[in-house]
Amino acid sequence: MSLELLIDILIATVPLMLIFATLFAFTTWLERKALARIQNRIGPNKVGIPCTRIGLFGLGQPAADGIKMIFKEDIVPRGADRLFHLLAPILALIPAMLVLCFLPLDFPWVNEDSVKAYLLDGAVIFFFAITGLNTLAVFMAGWASRNKYSLLGGMRAVAQMVSYEIPLVLSAVIVVMMVGSLNANSIADAQAGWNWFVFTPCGFAAFVIFFISALAETNRSPFDLPEAESEIIAGYFTEYSGFKFALFFLGEYIAMFAISGLAVTLFLGGGAGPGVASLPWLSVVWFLVKIFALIAVMIWLRGTLPRLRVDQLMGFAWKFLLPLSVLNIFITGFAWHAQQLENTTITVITWLISLAILYGAASGLNQLNRSNMRPREYKYAE
Amino acid sequence: MNEVIAFWILSAVAVLGALVAVRKRNLIHGVFALLVFFAGLSGLFLLLLAEFIAAVQVLVYIGAVGVLLLFAIMLTERVAGDDGRRMTSRGWFWGVVAAAAVLAMLIQQLPPPEAAQEMQEINPSVEELGKKLMNPYVVTLEVLALLLTAALIGAVTAAQSVRMPKEEDSPE
Repeated sequence: MSLELLIDILIATVPLMLIFATLFAFTTWLERKALARIQNRIGPNKVGIPCTRIGLFGLGQPAADGIKMIFKEDIVPRGADRLFHLLAPILALIPAMLVLCFLPLDFPWVNEDSVKAYLLDGAVIFFFAITGLNTLAVFMAGWASRNKYSLLGGMRAVAQMVSYEIPLVLSAVIVVMMVGSLNANSIADAQAGWNWFVFTPCGFAAFVIFFISALAETNRSPFDLPEAESEIIAGYFTEYSGFKFALFFLGEYIAMFAISGLAVTLFLGGGAGPGVASLPWLSVVWFLVKIFALIAVMIWLRGTLPRLRVDQLMGFAWKFLLPLSVLNIFITGFAWHAQQLENTTITVITWLISLAILYGAASGLNQLNRSNMRPREYKYAE
Repeated sequence: MNEVIAFWILSAVAVLGALVAVRKRNLIHGVFALLVFFAGLSGLFLLLLAEFIAAVQVLVYIGAVGVLLLFAIMLTERVAGDDGRRMTSRGWFWGVVAAAAVLAMLIQQLPPPEAAQEMQEINPSVEELGKKLMNPYVVTLEVLALLLTAALIGAVTAAQSVRMPKEEDSPE
Protein backbone atom coordinates (compact mmCIF):
# COMPACT_ATOMS: atom_id res chain seq x y z
CA MET A 1 0.00 0.00 0.00
CA SER A 2 1.53 3.26 -1.03
CA LEU A 3 1.83 6.10 1.45
CA GLU A 4 -0.35 8.38 -0.67
CA LEU A 5 -3.20 5.90 -0.64
CA LEU A 6 -2.88 5.53 3.12
CA ILE A 7 -3.07 9.31 3.53
CA ASP A 8 -6.08 9.46 1.22
CA ILE A 9 -7.84 6.80 3.28
CA LEU A 10 -7.06 8.61 6.53
CA ILE A 11 -8.33 11.89 5.08
CA ALA A 12 -11.54 10.13 4.14
CA THR A 13 -12.15 8.30 7.42
CA VAL A 14 -10.78 10.38 10.31
CA PRO A 15 -13.01 13.44 9.69
CA LEU A 16 -15.98 11.08 9.41
CA MET A 17 -15.32 9.75 12.92
CA LEU A 18 -14.62 13.21 14.34
CA ILE A 19 -17.73 14.75 12.79
CA PHE A 20 -20.03 12.05 14.09
CA ALA A 21 -18.43 12.06 17.56
CA THR A 22 -18.99 15.83 17.73
CA LEU A 23 -22.54 15.41 16.51
CA PHE A 24 -23.02 12.81 19.26
CA ALA A 25 -22.06 15.35 21.91
CA PHE A 26 -24.42 17.89 20.40
CA THR A 27 -27.23 15.34 20.12
CA THR A 28 -27.06 14.41 23.82
CA TRP A 29 -27.54 18.10 24.62
CA LEU A 30 -30.33 18.40 22.05
CA GLU A 31 -32.09 15.33 23.38
CA ARG A 32 -31.95 16.46 27.00
CA LYS A 33 -33.13 19.92 26.03
CA ALA A 34 -36.00 18.63 23.87
CA LEU A 35 -37.14 16.08 26.45
CA ALA A 36 -37.05 18.81 29.08
CA ARG A 37 -39.20 21.09 26.97
CA ILE A 38 -41.69 18.26 26.35
CA GLN A 39 -41.89 17.76 30.13
CA ASN A 40 -42.15 21.53 30.74
CA ARG A 41 -38.67 21.83 32.25
CA ILE A 42 -35.73 23.93 31.09
CA GLY A 43 -33.09 21.19 30.86
CA PRO A 44 -29.33 21.76 30.99
CA ASN A 45 -28.72 25.52 31.10
CA LYS A 46 -25.85 26.21 33.51
CA VAL A 47 -22.67 24.87 31.91
CA GLY A 48 -21.29 27.33 29.40
CA ILE A 49 -17.88 28.97 29.15
CA PRO A 50 -15.85 28.16 32.28
CA CYS A 51 -15.14 30.94 34.83
CA THR A 52 -17.77 33.21 33.32
CA ARG A 53 -21.49 33.45 33.80
CA ILE A 54 -22.20 32.95 30.10
CA GLY A 55 -24.57 29.98 29.86
CA LEU A 56 -24.89 29.45 26.09
CA PHE A 57 -28.11 27.48 26.76
CA GLY A 58 -26.09 24.79 28.51
CA LEU A 59 -24.08 23.86 25.41
CA GLY A 60 -21.07 23.08 27.62
CA GLN A 61 -22.96 20.21 29.23
CA PRO A 62 -21.66 17.44 26.91
CA ALA A 63 -18.04 18.50 27.54
CA ALA A 64 -18.62 18.50 31.31
CA ASP A 65 -20.27 15.07 31.07
CA GLY A 66 -17.39 13.73 29.01
CA ILE A 67 -14.78 14.93 31.54
CA LYS A 68 -16.84 13.44 34.35
CA MET A 69 -17.08 10.08 32.55
CA ILE A 70 -13.32 9.87 31.95
CA PHE A 71 -12.45 10.52 35.60
CA LYS A 72 -15.10 8.26 37.07
CA GLU A 73 -13.97 5.06 38.76
CA ASP A 74 -14.19 1.98 36.57
CA ILE A 75 -15.83 -0.78 38.61
CA VAL A 76 -15.81 -4.41 37.49
CA PRO A 77 -17.98 -6.79 39.55
CA ARG A 78 -16.10 -9.54 41.37
CA GLY A 79 -17.79 -12.41 39.56
CA ALA A 80 -17.58 -10.77 36.15
CA ASP A 81 -15.71 -12.12 33.16
CA ARG A 82 -13.06 -9.39 33.07
CA LEU A 83 -12.01 -9.85 29.45
CA PHE A 84 -15.54 -9.84 28.01
CA HIS A 85 -16.55 -7.03 30.35
CA LEU A 86 -13.81 -4.95 28.74
CA LEU A 87 -14.42 -6.11 25.16
CA ALA A 88 -18.20 -5.57 25.09
CA PRO A 89 -18.26 -1.74 24.98
CA ILE A 90 -15.49 -1.76 22.35
CA LEU A 91 -17.40 -4.28 20.25
CA ALA A 92 -20.50 -2.12 20.61
CA LEU A 93 -18.74 0.92 19.18
CA ILE A 94 -16.72 -0.60 16.32
CA PRO A 95 -19.59 -1.83 14.08
CA ALA A 96 -21.47 1.44 14.55
CA MET A 97 -18.39 3.44 13.50
CA LEU A 98 -17.56 1.03 10.68
CA VAL A 99 -20.90 1.28 8.90
CA LEU A 100 -20.59 5.07 8.64
CA CYS A 101 -18.20 4.54 5.73
CA PHE A 102 -20.97 2.90 3.69
CA LEU A 103 -23.07 6.07 3.72
CA PRO A 104 -22.86 8.08 0.47
CA LEU A 105 -21.47 11.21 2.12
CA ASP A 106 -19.56 13.15 -0.54
CA PHE A 107 -17.09 15.15 1.52
CA PRO A 108 -15.29 17.69 -0.68
CA TRP A 109 -11.86 16.84 0.79
CA VAL A 110 -12.02 13.16 -0.18
CA ASN A 111 -9.72 12.21 -3.07
CA GLU A 112 -12.34 10.39 -5.10
CA ASP A 113 -10.02 8.79 -7.63
CA SER A 114 -8.18 6.66 -5.09
CA VAL A 115 -10.78 6.08 -2.39
CA LYS A 116 -13.88 5.58 -4.53
CA ALA A 117 -12.28 2.45 -5.93
CA TYR A 118 -12.62 0.89 -2.49
CA LEU A 119 -16.35 1.53 -2.32
CA LEU A 120 -18.15 -1.74 -2.13
CA ASP A 121 -20.71 -2.86 -4.62
CA GLY A 122 -22.86 -4.42 -1.93
CA ALA A 123 -22.73 -1.57 0.57
CA VAL A 124 -26.33 -2.03 1.70
CA ILE A 125 -25.93 -5.72 2.51
CA PHE A 126 -22.63 -4.99 4.28
CA PHE A 127 -24.39 -2.34 6.31
CA PHE A 128 -26.94 -4.84 7.60
CA ALA A 129 -24.33 -7.53 8.18
CA ILE A 130 -22.10 -5.29 10.28
CA THR A 131 -24.94 -3.62 12.22
CA GLY A 132 -25.99 -7.13 13.26
CA LEU A 133 -22.74 -7.45 15.24
CA ASN A 134 -24.14 -4.98 17.75
CA THR A 135 -26.42 -7.74 19.04
CA LEU A 136 -23.40 -9.77 20.08
CA ALA A 137 -21.86 -6.83 21.95
CA VAL A 138 -25.06 -6.35 23.91
CA PHE A 139 -25.24 -10.04 24.76
CA MET A 140 -21.56 -10.04 25.72
CA ALA A 141 -22.11 -7.12 28.10
CA GLY A 142 -25.13 -8.79 29.68
CA TRP A 143 -23.40 -12.12 30.10
CA ALA A 144 -20.02 -10.84 31.27
CA SER A 145 -21.48 -8.69 34.04
CA ARG A 146 -22.76 -11.75 35.91
CA ASN A 147 -25.80 -9.87 37.07
CA LYS A 148 -29.29 -11.23 36.51
CA TYR A 149 -30.65 -7.87 35.40
CA SER A 150 -27.80 -7.48 32.95
CA LEU A 151 -28.42 -10.95 31.54
CA LEU A 152 -32.17 -10.32 31.28
CA GLY A 153 -31.47 -7.08 29.46
CA GLY A 154 -29.01 -8.82 27.16
CA MET A 155 -31.47 -11.60 26.31
CA ARG A 156 -34.24 -9.10 25.70
CA ALA A 157 -31.96 -7.11 23.43
CA VAL A 158 -30.92 -10.15 21.41
CA ALA A 159 -34.52 -11.34 20.93
CA GLN A 160 -35.64 -7.85 19.95
CA MET A 161 -32.80 -7.09 17.57
CA VAL A 162 -33.03 -10.45 15.82
CA SER A 163 -36.80 -10.04 15.34
CA TYR A 164 -36.72 -6.48 14.03
CA GLU A 165 -33.79 -7.05 11.71
CA ILE A 166 -36.07 -9.01 9.36
CA PRO A 167 -38.64 -6.25 8.62
CA LEU A 168 -35.73 -3.79 8.50
CA VAL A 169 -33.98 -5.72 5.74
CA LEU A 170 -37.20 -6.58 3.89
CA SER A 171 -38.22 -2.93 3.73
CA ALA A 172 -34.81 -2.03 2.34
CA VAL A 173 -35.24 -4.75 -0.31
CA ILE A 174 -37.95 -2.62 -1.92
CA VAL A 175 -35.52 0.18 -2.71
CA VAL A 176 -32.92 -2.31 -3.92
CA MET A 177 -35.59 -3.77 -6.23
CA MET A 178 -36.55 -0.39 -7.67
CA VAL A 179 -32.96 0.74 -8.26
CA GLY A 180 -31.55 -2.65 -9.17
CA SER A 181 -28.35 -2.06 -7.21
CA LEU A 182 -26.93 -2.64 -3.74
CA ASN A 183 -24.52 0.25 -4.10
CA ALA A 184 -25.38 3.12 -1.73
CA ASN A 185 -24.11 5.74 -4.17
CA SER A 186 -26.21 4.53 -7.08
CA ILE A 187 -29.27 4.31 -4.81
CA ALA A 188 -28.73 7.93 -3.78
CA ASP A 189 -28.10 9.00 -7.38
CA ALA A 190 -31.29 7.31 -8.55
CA GLN A 191 -33.26 9.71 -6.34
CA ALA A 192 -31.67 12.92 -7.66
CA GLY A 193 -34.07 15.83 -7.95
CA TRP A 194 -37.28 15.07 -6.10
CA ASN A 195 -37.63 11.39 -7.07
CA TRP A 196 -37.30 10.30 -3.47
CA PHE A 197 -38.57 6.82 -2.74
CA VAL A 198 -40.57 8.08 0.21
CA PHE A 199 -42.83 9.77 -2.38
CA THR A 200 -43.80 6.45 -3.99
CA PRO A 201 -46.61 4.40 -2.41
CA CYS A 202 -44.49 1.35 -1.57
CA GLY A 203 -41.51 3.47 -0.65
CA PHE A 204 -43.62 5.34 1.87
CA ALA A 205 -44.89 2.14 3.49
CA ALA A 206 -41.36 0.72 3.48
CA PHE A 207 -40.02 3.91 5.05
CA VAL A 208 -42.50 3.66 7.93
CA ILE A 209 -41.64 -0.02 8.48
CA PHE A 210 -37.93 0.77 8.22
CA PHE A 211 -38.13 3.62 10.70
CA ILE A 212 -40.08 1.59 13.27
CA SER A 213 -37.65 -1.31 12.94
CA ALA A 214 -34.71 1.08 13.16
CA LEU A 215 -36.06 2.38 16.46
CA ALA A 216 -36.21 -1.18 17.78
CA GLU A 217 -32.80 -2.03 16.33
CA THR A 218 -31.12 0.88 18.15
CA ASN A 219 -33.06 0.18 21.40
CA ARG A 220 -34.77 3.54 21.24
CA SER A 221 -37.98 4.32 23.05
CA PRO A 222 -40.74 2.98 22.74
CA PHE A 223 -38.65 -0.19 22.14
CA ASP A 224 -36.16 0.41 24.96
CA LEU A 225 -37.01 -2.80 26.81
CA PRO A 226 -33.37 -3.98 27.04
CA GLU A 227 -32.60 -0.99 29.24
CA ALA A 228 -36.02 -0.50 30.82
CA GLU A 229 -35.10 1.32 34.01
CA SER A 230 -38.42 0.64 35.75
CA GLU A 231 -38.09 -3.12 35.24
CA ILE A 232 -34.46 -4.23 35.06
CA ILE A 233 -32.44 -1.28 36.45
CA ALA A 234 -30.46 -0.38 33.34
CA GLY A 235 -30.48 -3.67 31.46
CA TYR A 236 -27.27 -4.87 29.91
CA PHE A 237 -25.13 -1.96 31.07
CA THR A 238 -26.21 -2.07 34.72
CA GLU A 239 -22.69 -3.02 35.81
CA TYR A 240 -20.87 -0.50 33.63
CA SER A 241 -19.50 2.77 34.89
CA GLY A 242 -17.08 5.44 33.85
CA PHE A 243 -15.64 5.38 30.38
CA LYS A 244 -17.01 1.96 29.43
CA PHE A 245 -20.49 3.31 30.02
CA ALA A 246 -19.62 6.33 27.90
CA LEU A 247 -18.51 4.00 25.09
CA PHE A 248 -21.88 2.22 25.17
CA PHE A 249 -23.60 5.57 25.09
CA LEU A 250 -21.45 6.73 22.17
CA GLY A 251 -22.02 3.46 20.30
CA GLU A 252 -25.76 3.74 20.71
CA TYR A 253 -25.90 7.26 19.33
CA ILE A 254 -23.50 6.52 16.46
CA ALA A 255 -25.73 3.56 15.58
CA MET A 256 -28.68 5.96 15.57
CA PHE A 257 -26.83 8.25 13.15
CA ALA A 258 -25.81 5.33 10.97
CA ILE A 259 -29.27 3.84 10.65
CA SER A 260 -30.82 7.28 10.10
CA GLY A 261 -28.18 7.81 7.44
CA LEU A 262 -29.21 4.58 5.75
CA ALA A 263 -32.87 5.64 5.92
CA VAL A 264 -31.89 8.95 4.30
CA THR A 265 -29.93 7.09 1.61
CA LEU A 266 -32.67 4.60 0.86
CA PHE A 267 -35.80 6.72 1.10
CA LEU A 268 -35.06 10.42 1.53
CA GLY A 269 -32.89 11.02 -1.52
CA GLY A 270 -29.42 10.92 0.10
CA GLY A 271 -27.76 14.28 -0.35
CA ALA A 272 -30.36 15.56 -2.82
CA GLY A 273 -31.79 18.97 -2.10
CA PRO A 274 -32.11 22.51 -3.45
CA GLY A 275 -28.86 24.09 -4.59
CA VAL A 276 -26.81 20.89 -4.81
CA ALA A 277 -26.30 21.25 -8.55
CA SER A 278 -24.45 24.56 -8.20
CA LEU A 279 -22.72 23.91 -4.86
CA PRO A 280 -21.72 20.23 -4.56
CA TRP A 281 -20.67 20.48 -0.89
CA LEU A 282 -24.28 21.29 0.00
CA SER A 283 -25.15 17.61 -0.44
CA VAL A 284 -23.27 16.75 2.79
CA VAL A 285 -25.18 19.50 4.59
CA TRP A 286 -28.51 18.23 3.28
CA PHE A 287 -27.58 14.68 4.26
CA LEU A 288 -26.82 15.73 7.83
CA VAL A 289 -29.94 17.92 7.98
CA LYS A 290 -32.07 14.94 6.98
CA ILE A 291 -30.33 12.73 9.56
CA PHE A 292 -31.09 15.32 12.22
CA ALA A 293 -34.71 15.52 11.12
CA LEU A 294 -35.01 11.77 11.75
CA ILE A 295 -33.16 12.09 15.09
CA ALA A 296 -35.59 14.84 16.09
CA VAL A 297 -38.51 12.49 15.41
CA MET A 298 -36.78 9.82 17.53
CA ILE A 299 -36.40 12.28 20.42
CA TRP A 300 -40.00 13.39 20.01
CA LEU A 301 -41.23 9.79 20.14
CA ARG A 302 -39.11 9.14 23.23
CA GLY A 303 -40.75 12.07 24.96
CA THR A 304 -44.29 11.03 24.11
CA LEU A 305 -44.73 7.25 23.77
CA PRO A 306 -44.93 4.70 26.60
CA ARG A 307 -42.79 1.55 26.45
CA LEU A 308 -44.14 -1.64 24.86
CA ARG A 309 -44.67 -4.88 26.74
CA VAL A 310 -42.47 -7.85 25.75
CA ASP A 311 -45.31 -9.86 24.16
CA GLN A 312 -46.56 -6.78 22.29
CA LEU A 313 -43.03 -6.15 21.05
CA MET A 314 -42.62 -9.66 19.63
CA GLY A 315 -46.15 -9.83 18.24
CA PHE A 316 -45.70 -6.49 16.50
CA ALA A 317 -42.54 -7.63 14.73
CA TRP A 318 -43.64 -11.12 13.68
CA LYS A 319 -47.38 -10.78 13.17
CA PHE A 320 -47.61 -7.25 11.84
CA LEU A 321 -44.42 -5.81 10.37
CA LEU A 322 -43.15 -9.01 8.76
CA PRO A 323 -46.33 -9.89 6.76
CA LEU A 324 -46.80 -6.26 5.83
CA SER A 325 -43.28 -5.92 4.47
CA VAL A 326 -43.56 -9.17 2.49
CA LEU A 327 -46.83 -7.94 0.96
CA ASN A 328 -45.19 -4.61 0.23
CA ILE A 329 -42.53 -6.37 -1.84
CA PHE A 330 -45.25 -7.89 -4.07
CA ILE A 331 -46.98 -4.52 -4.46
CA THR A 332 -43.67 -2.92 -5.38
CA GLY A 333 -43.28 -5.34 -8.25
CA PHE A 334 -46.77 -4.45 -9.48
CA ALA A 335 -46.30 -0.70 -9.06
CA TRP A 336 -42.88 -0.71 -10.69
CA HIS A 337 -44.16 -2.44 -13.82
CA ALA A 338 -47.20 -0.16 -13.95
CA GLN A 339 -45.08 2.97 -13.73
CA GLN A 340 -42.81 1.87 -16.56
CA LEU A 341 -45.71 2.85 -18.85
CA GLU A 342 -45.17 6.56 -18.02
CA ASN A 343 -48.84 7.49 -18.02
CA THR A 344 -50.25 9.90 -15.43
CA THR A 345 -53.62 8.18 -15.03
CA ILE A 346 -51.96 4.82 -14.60
CA THR A 347 -49.60 6.29 -12.01
CA VAL A 348 -52.51 7.74 -10.04
CA ILE A 349 -54.42 4.46 -10.25
CA THR A 350 -51.31 2.57 -9.09
CA TRP A 351 -50.99 4.90 -6.14
CA LEU A 352 -54.63 4.37 -5.15
CA ILE A 353 -54.53 0.58 -5.57
CA SER A 354 -51.23 0.28 -3.68
CA LEU A 355 -52.43 2.45 -0.84
CA ALA A 356 -55.76 0.60 -0.66
CA ILE A 357 -54.02 -2.81 -0.48
CA LEU A 358 -51.55 -1.56 2.10
CA TYR A 359 -54.25 0.07 4.20
CA GLY A 360 -56.39 -3.07 3.99
CA ALA A 361 -53.45 -5.26 4.95
CA ALA A 362 -52.46 -3.02 7.85
CA SER A 363 -55.95 -2.76 9.30
CA GLY A 364 -56.64 -6.45 8.65
CA LEU A 365 -53.47 -7.53 10.41
CA ASN A 366 -54.31 -5.16 13.22
CA GLN A 367 -57.78 -6.72 13.65
CA LEU A 368 -56.37 -10.22 13.43
CA ASN A 369 -53.85 -9.55 16.15
CA ARG A 370 -56.32 -7.80 18.39
CA SER A 371 -58.90 -10.62 18.39
CA ASN A 372 -56.23 -13.16 19.23
CA MET A 373 -54.81 -11.09 22.05
CA ARG A 374 -55.75 -12.64 25.35
CA PRO A 375 -55.45 -10.70 28.60
CA ARG A 376 -52.00 -11.13 30.00
CA GLU A 377 -51.48 -14.01 32.39
CA TYR A 378 -49.32 -13.18 35.36
CA LYS A 379 -47.23 -16.11 36.52
CA TYR A 380 -45.44 -14.60 39.47
CA ALA A 381 -47.84 -11.86 40.54
CA GLU A 382 -51.49 -11.40 41.28
CA MET B 1 2.61 -8.18 -1.51
CA ASN B 2 -0.09 -6.48 0.53
CA GLU B 3 -2.46 -9.28 -0.29
CA VAL B 4 0.03 -11.85 0.97
CA ILE B 5 0.45 -10.02 4.31
CA ALA B 6 -3.31 -9.66 4.65
CA PHE B 7 -3.76 -13.32 3.81
CA TRP B 8 -1.35 -14.44 6.54
CA ILE B 9 -2.87 -12.14 9.17
CA LEU B 10 -6.42 -13.25 8.35
CA SER B 11 -5.43 -16.92 8.24
CA ALA B 12 -3.69 -16.62 11.60
CA VAL B 13 -6.79 -15.00 13.08
CA ALA B 14 -9.03 -17.72 11.63
CA VAL B 15 -6.84 -20.62 12.75
CA LEU B 16 -6.34 -19.18 16.24
CA GLY B 17 -10.07 -18.59 16.55
CA ALA B 18 -10.82 -22.15 15.50
CA LEU B 19 -8.24 -23.57 17.93
CA VAL B 20 -9.57 -21.54 20.85
CA ALA B 21 -13.14 -22.52 19.93
CA VAL B 22 -12.22 -26.18 20.14
CA ARG B 23 -10.04 -25.97 23.25
CA LYS B 24 -12.06 -23.62 25.47
CA ARG B 25 -14.09 -25.27 28.22
CA ASN B 26 -16.24 -22.20 28.74
CA LEU B 27 -18.99 -22.53 26.15
CA ILE B 28 -19.65 -18.81 25.72
CA HIS B 29 -15.96 -18.14 25.19
CA GLY B 30 -15.93 -20.98 22.69
CA VAL B 31 -18.82 -19.46 20.74
CA PHE B 32 -17.16 -16.06 20.57
CA ALA B 33 -13.89 -17.67 19.44
CA LEU B 34 -15.86 -19.45 16.72
CA LEU B 35 -17.24 -16.06 15.66
CA VAL B 36 -13.67 -14.74 15.42
CA PHE B 37 -12.94 -17.65 13.11
CA PHE B 38 -15.98 -16.74 10.95
CA ALA B 39 -14.81 -13.12 10.85
CA GLY B 40 -11.36 -14.20 9.66
CA LEU B 41 -12.97 -16.36 6.98
CA SER B 42 -15.11 -13.44 5.85
CA GLY B 43 -11.95 -11.35 5.54
CA LEU B 44 -10.40 -14.06 3.36
CA PHE B 45 -13.46 -14.00 1.09
CA LEU B 46 -13.12 -10.23 0.85
CA LEU B 47 -9.49 -10.72 -0.15
CA LEU B 48 -10.71 -12.96 -2.99
CA LEU B 49 -12.99 -10.07 -4.12
CA ALA B 50 -16.03 -12.20 -3.29
CA GLU B 51 -17.61 -9.38 -1.34
CA PHE B 52 -21.14 -10.75 -1.46
CA ILE B 53 -20.05 -14.03 0.07
CA ALA B 54 -18.05 -12.09 2.68
CA ALA B 55 -21.15 -10.08 3.59
CA VAL B 56 -23.31 -13.19 3.73
CA GLN B 57 -20.67 -14.89 5.87
CA VAL B 58 -20.96 -12.06 8.39
CA LEU B 59 -24.75 -11.84 8.09
CA VAL B 60 -25.53 -15.54 8.35
CA TYR B 61 -22.70 -17.05 10.34
CA ILE B 62 -21.76 -14.30 12.77
CA GLY B 63 -25.19 -12.68 12.93
CA ALA B 64 -27.59 -15.61 12.82
CA VAL B 65 -25.65 -18.77 13.71
CA GLY B 66 -23.75 -17.05 16.52
CA VAL B 67 -26.92 -15.72 18.09
CA LEU B 68 -28.56 -19.11 17.63
CA LEU B 69 -25.71 -20.83 19.46
CA LEU B 70 -25.87 -18.31 22.29
CA PHE B 71 -29.62 -18.82 22.57
CA ALA B 72 -29.18 -22.57 22.61
CA ILE B 73 -26.66 -22.29 25.46
CA MET B 74 -28.91 -19.91 27.39
CA LEU B 75 -31.97 -22.16 27.00
CA THR B 76 -30.17 -25.40 27.87
CA GLU B 77 -30.53 -26.48 31.46
CA ARG B 78 -27.57 -27.55 33.53
CA VAL B 79 -24.87 -25.96 31.44
CA ALA B 80 -22.21 -24.77 33.82
CA GLY B 81 -19.94 -22.02 32.56
CA ASP B 82 -16.65 -23.35 33.88
CA ASP B 83 -16.55 -26.89 35.13
CA GLY B 84 -13.29 -28.48 36.07
CA ARG B 85 -13.84 -31.70 34.18
CA ARG B 86 -11.48 -32.48 31.37
CA MET B 87 -12.81 -32.45 27.88
CA THR B 88 -12.92 -35.92 26.45
CA SER B 89 -11.26 -36.04 23.07
CA ARG B 90 -11.00 -39.74 22.27
CA GLY B 91 -11.42 -39.34 18.54
CA TRP B 92 -8.41 -37.10 17.99
CA PHE B 93 -6.51 -39.69 15.96
CA TRP B 94 -9.29 -40.20 13.46
CA GLY B 95 -9.86 -36.47 13.42
CA VAL B 96 -6.28 -35.90 12.30
CA VAL B 97 -6.60 -38.66 9.68
CA ALA B 98 -9.79 -37.14 8.28
CA ALA B 99 -8.27 -33.66 8.20
CA ALA B 100 -5.16 -34.94 6.41
CA ALA B 101 -7.32 -36.81 3.89
CA VAL B 102 -9.38 -33.69 3.12
CA LEU B 103 -6.21 -31.61 2.78
CA ALA B 104 -4.60 -34.16 0.45
CA MET B 105 -7.72 -34.24 -1.70
CA LEU B 106 -7.86 -30.44 -1.89
CA ILE B 107 -4.20 -30.22 -2.89
CA GLN B 108 -4.75 -32.85 -5.55
CA GLN B 109 -7.77 -31.00 -6.93
CA LEU B 110 -5.98 -27.65 -6.95
CA PRO B 111 -5.99 -26.24 -10.51
CA PRO B 112 -2.62 -25.50 -12.14
CA PRO B 113 -1.48 -21.83 -12.25
CA GLU B 114 -2.41 -21.57 -15.95
CA ALA B 115 -6.05 -22.26 -15.08
CA ALA B 116 -6.07 -19.34 -12.65
CA GLN B 117 -5.58 -16.98 -15.59
CA GLU B 118 -8.69 -18.31 -17.29
CA MET B 119 -10.71 -18.16 -14.09
CA GLN B 120 -10.40 -14.38 -13.90
CA GLU B 121 -13.09 -14.24 -16.57
CA ILE B 122 -15.66 -14.92 -13.85
CA ASN B 123 -17.36 -11.74 -12.73
CA PRO B 124 -17.76 -11.95 -8.94
CA SER B 125 -20.21 -9.03 -8.70
CA VAL B 126 -23.54 -9.23 -6.93
CA GLU B 127 -25.37 -8.41 -10.16
CA GLU B 128 -23.93 -11.43 -11.95
CA LEU B 129 -24.76 -13.65 -8.99
CA GLY B 130 -28.35 -12.41 -8.95
CA LYS B 131 -28.75 -13.07 -12.67
CA LYS B 132 -27.30 -16.57 -12.26
CA LEU B 133 -29.64 -17.30 -9.37
CA MET B 134 -32.67 -16.07 -11.25
CA ASN B 135 -31.90 -17.64 -14.62
CA PRO B 136 -30.15 -21.03 -14.68
CA TYR B 137 -30.39 -21.87 -10.98
CA VAL B 138 -33.92 -20.72 -10.20
CA VAL B 139 -35.21 -24.26 -9.64
CA THR B 140 -32.38 -25.00 -7.19
CA LEU B 141 -33.20 -21.81 -5.36
CA GLU B 142 -36.89 -22.70 -5.11
CA VAL B 143 -36.13 -26.22 -3.92
CA LEU B 144 -33.85 -24.80 -1.24
CA ALA B 145 -36.53 -22.33 -0.19
CA LEU B 146 -39.07 -25.17 0.02
CA LEU B 147 -36.65 -27.23 2.09
CA LEU B 148 -36.08 -24.37 4.52
CA THR B 149 -39.82 -23.74 4.81
CA ALA B 150 -40.38 -27.41 5.55
CA ALA B 151 -37.67 -27.28 8.21
CA LEU B 152 -39.30 -24.20 9.73
CA ILE B 153 -42.75 -25.79 9.84
CA GLY B 154 -41.23 -28.96 11.23
CA ALA B 155 -39.50 -26.99 13.99
CA VAL B 156 -42.78 -25.26 14.91
CA THR B 157 -44.63 -28.59 14.94
CA ALA B 158 -41.95 -30.24 17.04
CA ALA B 159 -41.96 -27.38 19.51
CA GLN B 160 -45.77 -27.39 19.78
CA SER B 161 -46.23 -31.13 20.17
CA VAL B 162 -43.97 -31.03 23.22
CA ARG B 163 -45.98 -28.32 24.85
CA MET B 164 -49.52 -29.52 24.01
CA PRO B 165 -49.83 -32.47 26.46
CA LYS B 166 -48.42 -30.33 29.24
CA GLU B 167 -51.19 -27.79 28.85
CA GLU B 168 -53.80 -30.53 28.99
CA ASP B 169 -52.23 -32.06 32.07
CA SER B 170 -51.80 -28.90 34.04
CA PRO B 171 -55.42 -28.35 35.26
CA GLU B 172 -55.65 -31.79 36.86
